[in-house]
Amino acid sequence: MVTHEDILQIARLAKLSVPEEELDALTKDMGEIIEFANTINNASDDGEEFDNINNLSNVLRADEVVPSLKSEEILKNAGDSENDHFLVKKRVL
Amino acid sequence: MKYEMVAGLETHVELATNTKIFCGCTTQFGGEPNTHCCPICIGLPGTLPKLNEQVVNYAIRAGLATNCEIPEISKMDRKNYCYPDLPKAYQISQYDKPLCLNGYVQLSNGRKIRLTRIHIEEDAGKLIHNHGDTYVDYNRGGVPLIEIVSEPDIRSAEEAKEYVEKLQLIMKYIGVSDCRMQEGSMRCDVNISVRPQGSEELGTRTEIKNMNSITFMAKAMEYEFSRQVDIIENGGKVEQQTLRYDEATDTTSSMRGKEDANDYRYFRDPDLVTICVPREKVERIRAELPELPDQKLERYINELEIPENDAKLLVKYRRVAEFFEKASAGTKAPRTAANFIIGQIFSILENDGAKEEFDIKVSAENLNALIKLIDDGKIKMNLAKKTLAKMLETGKAPSELIDESDMGGLDEGALDELCRQAVSSNPNAVADYKSGKTKAIKALVGFVMKNSRGKADASAAEQRLIDIIG
Repeated sequence: MVTHEDILQIARLAKLSVPEEELDALTKDMGEIIEFANTINNASDDGEEFDNINNLSNVLRADEVVPSLKSEEILKNAGDSENDHFLVKKRVL
Repeated sequence: MKYEMVAGLETHVELATNTKIFCGCTTQFGGEPNTHCCPICIGLPGTLPKLNEQVVNYAIRAGLATNCEIPEISKMDRKNYCYPDLPKAYQISQYDKPLCLNGYVQLSNGRKIRLTRIHIEEDAGKLIHNHGDTYVDYNRGGVPLIEIVSEPDIRSAEEAKEYVEKLQLIMKYIGVSDCRMQEGSMRCDVNISVRPQGSEELGTRTEIKNMNSITFMAKAMEYEFSRQVDIIENGGKVEQQTLRYDEATDTTSSMRGKEDANDYRYFRDPDLVTICVPREKVERIRAELPELPDQKLERYINELEIPENDAKLLVKYRRVAEFFEKASAGTKAPRTAANFIIGQIFSILENDGAKEEFDIKVSAENLNALIKLIDDGKIKMNLAKKTLAKMLETGKAPSELIDESDMGGLDEGALDELCRQAVSSNPNAVADYKSGKTKAIKALVGFVMKNSRGKADASAAEQRLIDIIG
């Protein structure tokens, strides 16, 4: 059962603000999403065990250096930058 | 009432790989900001991380060196939190299937500090805060770390110190990290609580974050222990929270409450496939492990007959131990090499860092040759010491520094002659000696040593001088 508190908690963790008037609708939607996800529990699980759809394991790379990009390239998508750094507003965790 | 400390440590160790954990960017410390980065380690959409095999190998090596089990199956998970040091808003780490489980590190008092687990993860970027702005450098983002998590088995700041020092030394010996705390390649979080002595229950714990000096860690633990005891003695309750230690004031202060931040919503990273660790691989890595510090110490004491305190000094620095083993190989008493290193060579190395580097001009082979000259009776200890001093300055081999004519001891006649010369040329020292200043004899011995070019035996000379002055 999803509650208003659950929604507010998730919103806080995701750094989102939720307007009071949307709380009911979001709580209902979230409940339905979780209910839908629950259908997987009803699937039969007597087949062969595997832990990813491609059945791959140990996709590894050798420890060899590849040239990095220039900082101008790295900072190209930055909202703001200064002195080769990304620049963001200070925030507390 | 008496209280005891209950502490567990989370130790982050940066691995000495060439490249980051999921991309080919270099792991070199420093560098201009954001120049060791690529689309993968700054988390651009559509990029695919690929695990560095050496990270897996190093973590297993670390696990085996600390008596861990290595499960056959392991996987990577996402630890979600939103902070600018993580470009993706999650850190790729390991949650319920770490690479190593159930190890321990044994302290010198015999207590075993159990290790819950060792897992691999990516490091975060570096933030510089300035007047409400935060500058972000992702060079460190994606550098591989292992996190070594201990059980709450530590009972004092002293034990914590020894535990961290032991981990540090083991990691250096097995070559997985340089563990430079001042550069941040090793850092500790301390979980600490108190309880009445004899109680089995755990009290409410606080966590002191990011200790990057062993000395300050010990201080912070002592401060936090007495802070918690004070609260309890005054009828209060310790609040579960994350603390920061301030070195300048020697106090801890709150960083944040614990409960919200605890919700990391771990889930499997769908971009990274299962890690299978075949048993043959584990055994191969085990077979490649070098002799570990504790084993070395035991061998030095029991087989090489090095006094315990000296043996500890040799084992404390990996390069010193290697040098000692080469220098003492095939000599009559390994203790001679130990004495030269701890006495004469350490005296020119100013601090811990210099001993660690052990950057000296003398090669182990040349010290070995010098000791063999002593063993064969070709030179006396005195000349050997002088020669070593010259070797330390010039880097030359003993054969280049010792004249054939200096080899061999001084016969009795020559010693007698030199002692008589010493007495006749130093009337003042002789008078001082006669008036009771027994130390004055040293000046005369010095004269004999100098004029025999180190060939004379100092104690024989002293005895002879006393006889002559009589």
